[in-house]
Amino acid sequence: MRELAEWMQTSALGHFMRESGAWTYAVVNLFHILGVASLFGSVLVLDLRLMGVGRRIPLAALADATVPVATAGFTVAAITGVGLLATKATEYVGNPFLVIKFPAIALGLINVLALRLSPAWQARRQRELSRRELRQLSLIGGLSLACWLTAFTAGRMIAYW
Amino acid sequence: MRTQSSRRRFATCLIGAIGAVALLAARPVSAHHGWGGYLDAEFEITGTVESSVSLAGPHASMTIRAADGHVWNVVLAPPPRSQQAGLKDGMIPVGAKVTAHGHRHRDNDRFEIKTERLTWGDKVFNVYPDRT
Repeated sequence: MRELAEWMQTSALGHFMRESGAWTYAVVNLFHILGVASLFGSVLVLDLRLMGVGRRIPLAALADATVPVATAGFTVAAITGVGLLATKATEYVGNPFLVIKFPAIALGLINVLALRLSPAWQARRQRELSRRELRQLSLIGGLSLACWLTAFTAGRMIAYW
Repeated sequence: MRTQSSRRRFATCLIGAIGAVALLAARPVSAHHGWGGYLDAEFEITGTVESSVSLAGPHASMTIRAADGHVWNVVLAPPPRSQQAGLKDGMIPVGAKVTAHGHRHRDNDRFEIKTERLTWGDKVFNVYPDRT
């Protein structure tokens, strides 16, 4: 862990984050929050729909609107997040919230994979889903929300440790 | 209805997960943000610069070696605000004598001061002018 943190901190990215002006960290932080907000906002709407809220809205249509925003948000948050971490990476070694945050993100991504591979998700454009399939989607939506909420809460708490 | 009961189950799981995180978060924590992690009493420490001013986020900082032999982490304001107070990257040379005035970290084993005012010779950097 410490070795990885030292490597990040001494990397070109670490130097850039520390030495390229007083506002660099703040601006990168801004984009991190925009990424996280886009990700969470879209994930929240989709997960609630998967859990059965607002059934009148067709799942396929809602997914078409939210999934690209979530993907873009995640990408921006991940890239800027590496920069924020690299600034003073060694100071975060031993921070318990990091130990909660990253596994929560990993579980969230595994859950995305589970959703994409599920027959119910794949059939969302073609046909009415069975009760069993709706229940599966509901479970995946609930897990997703739990993972991302945990990740965002732990992420915010990192600064307060 | 099944969906109704499964929905309730998810809600319970969800509230549980949020509750667990909130409980953990509610522990008394120290912080680089805010003053909560620092003692209320005013505190001052003098030492020689070990590593010079860094205007890296989230807070500018430097380290000094005090008379007690410990290397202290001198936490300053966020970078733009520290810059506003007149600080620049690397501006105080290693070995120079400085005094930091502010609040000591609540954790006695952590040699860290959150600085309101930094004095170097006849120069005073008021990084939190509204606090002192």
